[in-house]
Order: sequence, then C-alpha cells, then structure tokens
Amino acid sequence: MTTATAVRVLARGGWPEPGDTELPPLAGFTASSFSPLVAVAAERCLRTHLGPDRPVPPAPTRTALLLASSSGDRATARAIDTAAASGGRVPPLLFFQSNPNAVLGHLAARWQLTGPVVAVAPTTPAVPGELPVDALELAALLLADGDADQVLVISAEQTEDRRCPDRAVAALLARA
Amino acid sequence: MSSHAPPRARPVVTGLGVRSACGHGIDPLAAAVGLGTPAFDTVTRFDTGGRRTHRAALLPDPPQLADAVLDVIDEAWRQADPEDADTTPLLLALHSDLNTRAVADRVGEATSTRRGLGGVTRVYTGACVASGTAVADAAALVSAGHRSRVLVAAGHLVGPGVFAAFDAGRALARDGSLRPFSAGRTGTLLGDAAVAVVIEDEAAAERRGAPVLARIAGWGRSGDAHHVCRPAPDGRALALAAESALARAGVAPEEVGYVNAGGTGSPLADRAEAAALHRTFGRHTGRLPVSSSKSVHGHALEASALLELAVTISALSSGLLPVNAGWLGPDPDCGLDLVLEGPREAHPRYALSLNSAFGGANTALLVAAP
Repeated sequence: MTTATAVRVLARGGWPEPGDTELPPLAGFTASSFSPLVAVAAERCLRTHLGPDRPVPPAPTRTALLLASSSGDRATARAIDTAAASGGRVPPLLFFQSNPNAVLGHLAARWQLTGPVVAVAPTTPAVPGELPVDALELAALLLADGDADQVLVISAEQTEDRRCPDRAVAALLARA
Repeated sequence: MSSHAPPRARPVVTGLGVRSACGHGIDPLAAAVGLGTPAFDTVTRFDTGGRRTHRAALLPDPPQLADAVLDVIDEAWRQADPEDADTTPLLLALHSDLNTRAVADRVGEATSTRRGLGGVTRVYTGACVASGTAVADAAALVSAGHRSRVLVAAGHLVGPGVFAAFDAGRALARDGSLRPFSAGRTGTLLGDAAVAVVIEDEAAAERRGAPVLARIAGWGRSGDAHHVCRPAPDGRALALAAESALARAGVAPEEVGYVNAGGTGSPLADRAEAAALHRTFGRHTGRLPVSSSKSVHGHALEASALLELAVTISALSSGLLPVNAGWLGPDPDCGLDLVLEGPREAHPRYALSLNSAFGGANTALLVAAP
C-alpha cells in the first residue's frame, strides 16, 4: 500500500553487529530470545539518537513503537503449547511475554515513548538487515495520521536454527 | 496534542460479518448484549482440569479459524457488494502463535480465489488492540484518500495454550463470571469471535447505493509508557486516545451518548479505564451510559475490538444499549453510569469503543450513526 508520506531516518540499531556474540538477557523475560532480540536492537537505535551521555529515561516523546515480525516469538509459543498439552501449569512469565506487545511495553516505559504501540506480521519477508517495506509504509501512515511525531520501527526474526542466527534491525523515523 | 491531517474522505462501514458464541450474524449478538444474557459455559473443547477457571464463551461447533474468518469476510463483502475487489487491501488481526502464518496464507489464498481480492496485506498481532489498530489504520487510509475501500477482518478461537497462559497469569475470573467495573470482579473470560467489516469512502458508497451501517467518525491510538502488561492507573494515555478520536471528528465530549468500554473484568484495568473516562468526559461522565459487552460475549483478544465495533454499530442502529452483565455492586473507584438492565433504549449520534492491551497500547474508535 502506498501512503506517499516521505520519512527520514534519525538513527539505526541492530543485532548482530560486528563483535556481537551472546544476546544480552532481558530481565523479566525467559525461555526465548525474541524479546531480548527486539530490546537490544531498539535500545541501540534509541541510544544512538539520544547520545551516549544523556540519562535514561529521557523526557517523554510521542514516539510510536512498531514491531514487524513474520516469525513472531516462536519459542514462547512453543513453550506455552507444550506446557498446556501436558496439562501442567504454564510458567507465569510466559503469560506476560505471550504477545509481542509485552517487550514494546518494556521499551515504552524505559524510554518514555507515549505514541501508538503496534505489532504486525508482514506477509512479504524483509531483505535481511533491512526493514520490511510494509512496515515502512505503516510507519509513514502513523506519522501522517497525527498520533505520533516519531516511529521506532523494529524488524525482528527468530529462526530457532543455530546455523542461522536471530536478526533484528531498528530505525527511528520522523516526517521528512 | 495530536495534529490531524484534514480528511479528504469520510470512512463509512458498508459491510459487516460476525460469528460469536451468541450465534451467527449480528442479530443474535445484538439480542444477547441488549438483554445482558452471557454466553459463557463450561469448556469441553479441551481439558481444563488443571486450571483455576473452566468457563468461556465458545462457538458450539467451532470451524477452523481460517474458515470462520472466511465466512465473515464473505458475509461482509456480500453486504457491501462492491464492484471491484482486486485493489482492496485486507488487514487481518490474529493471535501471534505457531499457526499465524498458515491461517493468514489460507485466508489470503481463499479470498483471492473466491472474491478476487489481492490476498492479505498485513497481519496485526498486537493483542487486544490488534483489530482496533487495524480499523484505525483502515479509516486513516480512506480518510487520506490513499484507498477508497479497505477490508478489515479478525478471528480468535479459544485454544488450550492461550487458556493455560491466561490461567497462569491469574487473568481469568475465578468465579466464572466476567463482571466489568463491578465490586468483586476477579478477572476476564475468553471468547470466540470472527468479524469482518468493509470500510470505504462515503462518496463511493453513495455512488453505488451501498448501505451505510455507520461512519467511523474518529480514531485514536496511544501508549501508556508505563509497564510490560499493567495499565497506567491514571488512565492518562487511554484518555489521550479517546481525545484524539474526538478531536479528529470535531465532536465534543457531551455529544457522545454511549461508551462500549474495553472492560475486561480485571480489577486494575477496569479502574484505569474508569479514570480515563473521567479524564475525557469530566462532569458528562455521570450522564454517559457505559457498558462492556465482553460481559456477554467474552474477551476475544485480537478480535475483541472488531467484535465490539460490531456491537457498537448495532447499538447505534437499534437504539438498544448493550448491558454490562455480571454486576454485583458498585466499585467506588469506578463511578460510571453503567447500563445494568436491558433493554435500555437510547438514540445517541456518537458512541465510543475503547480497548487497551499489553504493552500499554490503547485504541479508541468513535462511531457515528449513519
């Protein structure tokens, strides 16, 4: 879908970047790499934009969070299904992270981002290392529509394959 | 404060398809919410023996999720009866799990074959605001003149995994009743739903004499910036979403005559939503009928906002406000004019439908009578 609103990139971040080995854990999230993956890419982008010495949280901004993931959090979904099928109790933390919005809530609270919180699964896969075209179009729509001054777009794909690492890329966008 | 672009078109709803535990189509749903007759029953679809709660609002003979979504898309599309299909985007809201891609692919393939649509454009997975966000985006696309028509669909069928996860999070009502804004409420109950709406440019609908069921007069989206899953207690961000919807429509709070609240039955979330309503409507709150129809049809997660939009459209059309069922007594922290008995007749020009979700996400849809 074409929305014809030009955007500019204020900052970028991603995982992995040169020198990265182990994904840093994210407190409050368990059993899956997905939320830590989203968080590290987003935080690198936001830190680049904020500058290295400025304290977090910064002043609130009307920044939307837009997470695009075709895979979703497969490890969490699998863990919930396995526990449910056994008739046992699901670990409570899995309830909280059972939806991709949860890590966006973590990011919004930490960085005081008060814009819309949106999670989508693009139907056309992104080129590795790039943001999906559909996510960029949705970001442009959100900016043009007036509920956000900036949009933090995060594209994250969980592979569950040791030979093919999880990847995420994030970009902070504003109207051109 | 929001700065909204001037609209080039007015988005209206010209087609509506619904499946819920209340039955097939909008009529049984409207009857159940109008009288406040809950559709909850003991779950037999899967074993709930190890859970604290055993009730949900389920379709009696559940189809596959993709089939349920396709049924409501057919229903909505037949009602709208547009001349051309292939340029109509399909925005689909689904739960994010291991089956999301397969369901979206099946819906996309079948709609291409049956209706000549171009497949699924985007899948919204953002929990309880997923379909509300999709409706807001559809309205924005039509309003800005980017699209003359958008199809929005959503589906959720209660499964053992989601039920177990909600049970683990102690989010389900221990007493088996969903009691929004009531004293003694203990949580939510899940529900099945598949819903589709056709949203299009009012001028295009008028040109071909299509039925206009309602107008999407305004919409707003916001984030709490507060917590992973708990709502901000002051309701400030949800109020901003509501105020954005009102501002976009140029409608004063006093002109709103009914609120279909998100009202999940959660002690914390209902209190936060009540605070948001007081912020938005001020003194008008005391005279503003409010109900959460989740108390009748259950919480349909990603499909909930679209199901509640259908309920709200029906209420504006019939003049019968949905009942807030399960009421035990007032919660002094809420202080709302709840619709506690039905049928209650009213003929508001505008009604507001609210939803909130994990991550502090909020959506508000302002619906105008046709």
